[in-house]
Amino acid sequence: MDPHDPVPPPECPGFVDVSVRLTGFDEFTLRGTGLVRLYHDTTVEQVGRAAVGRFLDDLAAAGGDPGGLTDEVSRDIARAITHLWYLGVWPQLSRSVHAALGREKPNTAFTVSPEAYTEGLVWQTFHGHPPGAKAPGFGTWADPPPGAPAPARRTGEDAR
Amino acid sequence: MTAGPARPATPRYDVVVVGAGLAGSLVAKRLGDRGWRVLVLEAGTRTLDSWPGHLDALDTAHAALAKVPNAPYRRNPAAPFPDVLDLTGLPDGGYRADGYFLQNGPLPYGSDHLRATGGTALHWMGLAPRMHPDDFHVRRAYGYGRDWPLAYDDLEPHYRAAERELGVAGDADEQRDAIGLPFPPGYGYPMHKIPRSYLDSVIAARLDGVRLREAPDAPETTLRVVTTPHARNSTPNPGYDSGRGHRPRGAVGTPNYGERCVGHAFCVPICPVQAKYTPLKTQATWSDDVTLVAHAVVSRVLTAGNGRVLGVEYQRYDDPASPAHTTRTAEADLVVLAAHAVENAKLLLLSGLADASGQVGRNLMDHPVLLTWGLLDHPAGPFRGPGSTSGLECFRTGPARRDRAPFRVEIGNWGWSWPAGSPSGDVSRLLGITGDPSQPRGKGLFGARLRRELGHFVGRQFSFQFAFEQDAESRNRVTVDPRHRDRLGIPRPVLTYDLSDHVKRGIASAKAVSDQLFRLLGAEDHTAYAPGTSAPGWFRHGDGAFEFKGAGHAAGTHVMGASRADSVVDPWQRCWDHPNLYAVGCGSMPSVGTSNPSLTMAALTLRSCERMHRDLTELHRPAALRLPEGRP
Repeated sequence: MDPHDPVPPPECPGFVDVSVRLTGFDEFTLRGTGLVRLYHDTTVEQVGRAAVGRFLDDLAAAGGDPGGLTDEVSRDIARAITHLWYLGVWPQLSRSVHAALGREKPNTAFTVSPEAYTEGLVWQTFHGHPPGAKAPGFGTWADPPPGAPAPARRTGEDAR
Repeated sequence: MTAGPARPATPRYDVVVVGAGLAGSLVAKRLGDRGWRVLVLEAGTRTLDSWPGHLDALDTAHAALAKVPNAPYRRNPAAPFPDVLDLTGLPDGGYRADGYFLQNGPLPYGSDHLRATGGTALHWMGLAPRMHPDDFHVRRAYGYGRDWPLAYDDLEPHYRAAERELGVAGDADEQRDAIGLPFPPGYGYPMHKIPRSYLDSVIAARLDGVRLREAPDAPETTLRVVTTPHARNSTPNPGYDSGRGHRPRGAVGTPNYGERCVGHAFCVPICPVQAKYTPLKTQATWSDDVTLVAHAVVSRVLTAGNGRVLGVEYQRYDDPASPAHTTRTAEADLVVLAAHAVENAKLLLLSGLADASGQVGRNLMDHPVLLTWGLLDHPAGPFRGPGSTSGLECFRTGPARRDRAPFRVEIGNWGWSWPAGSPSGDVSRLLGITGDPSQPRGKGLFGARLRRELGHFVGRQFSFQFAFEQDAESRNRVTVDPRHRDRLGIPRPVLTYDLSDHVKRGIASAKAVSDQLFRLLGAEDHTAYAPGTSAPGWFRHGDGAFEFKGAGHAAGTHVMGASRADSVVDPWQRCWDHPNLYAVGCGSMPSVGTSNPSLTMAALTLRSCERMHRDLTELHRPAALRLPEGRP
């Protein structure tokens, strides 16, 4: 490999590191959604750079454990970013945090994009797929999901 | 003779059909195939009958916060329609309605419909069970509600025709054996049954053959999990139609796409691959004799003064966002109202027609739904496959109907999505996000613990949906109020709705059954009913409190009967008062049983098409010039 060949830096590395801690999913999975940039930008746009900076400082002070956050503003930002990753939806902030941030946008929940919904991580937590996308195929719903026993066959029904 | 002043030509057709939904599309198909010139007027847009339009609707649904039945379909101020989100529960019970429907009843009417080409059947679940023979004479046999002027046997051949048109997948032997439905010997559905879900199999293994009493002194009922017929593509039955087989239809706009159900788990609000039947599939096979005009809101049926109708007046708009529109008329020998139960009643009321019996708009029905929900002791495989693939059918009829409404039990494959907004509600809750942003938030879980808890919790979810037969009551009704008009100046429907004690007793019985089912399943029951924002249908009955939802099954607003004195349409769905005006659809049903009604509506409509064809043939026959009898 040519040592002079520049390796592009990964996109938004700090945001991904924080997101790994918030979601419990690894970097590979998070980047695989294709939504790192959009979620980073959405977060900055929603709460502002200053609040994001304070949130990062607070998280570092908590040893990188989001459960150790004590400031309610930083904690609500942690909730919001996690909610975003799990559902593709930026949530309503708590009313007091919304006020504390002096936000001039309406405090309403919204799906960031149609793709954000289909890339929601929540479906993966129980080996599901987002309804309306990534369909697993005819008859797959008859099979036991991972971790479930095969049903006892009483009637000889469920053949397919 | 001198020519008069030139009049703008009013287009004239053999038939004008109002509404391009399920019933209207079948009427246009049948009459167009017979060579009649049919004009179909659709109030909404026709953006959904192209592939790009379909993809746009899918994107809209993905981006919607709540994936409710109307989520994919664009709001249309020119042809507004109701939404289930229009209703809000109040903190101590009661409700508020903010949408298209004005509501003044003790309980909310909780169902929506859709005004667009394809109609409400764009977002139906696709379940296609037949009604039980007992359902047609509940007054005679059980002493409540109204009877049909026809019996199951009269409708049976048309059920088969509807199953062909909709491409129903099912198991006739199982339906006969488990429910007692009569089929002709050797009958098989066009397609093999949709495979039952893993959840169905688990429940069947634990419940099949168990005998249960809904009350201590009630007779025993034997439980059995039965596969539900679906209007959804599965594997074609090669033996169908005397060995000719059945060819499933692909997607509208991309005919080779989709075909079999691939398990999108999104039948409501929209099937991405169009494996589910929608009226757009029938429209794609309309003959050239059928003309569809969308953006055409029918405002009045025009009459001649001798009881016959001349045609319709409609408001044509270009831009759904603009109030600009022009008033036009269309004339025809036959007018068929197929605009959904509520809109049909609204149109008859606005036109002052068909109401000699005083029954127009009355007897509004739905299938009130009671949800119960819990957790299995191991993963249940939620959010996979069609919304429901099996049910318990043993409470659909029998002597208990005298005392309480009968019910069908759907096994819900989509976790707690309907009762609790899962999984998004679960994510919020575990993160500490409360529904009310002014309340302090919980500490919340993050990282691996959040991921594990969600998987363990959501992955075991399942629900039961108890759908009740609602009896026809004249107090439940659609009216119009000229003080409340839509963008085009047409009065909006006013709904007055309540549940009878017969239905409420059915709900209480079903809850008692549900309690036993959860015990038999060894499942954690999380069912709870409390008043509040998301519970507009909360009510008290006896010692208990319950909450019901609407099933989207509006019926009964222009009931069919044997006598013009007490019904709006005759057994052909023809208005008693107007020989060339039909009102078709679920609005004609005098009782609704416990079956999802679309298949019955389709069968009833196909039966009526035969009568419409005969009416038209009579009208076009040359006048007979006969000498009076007795003269040489």
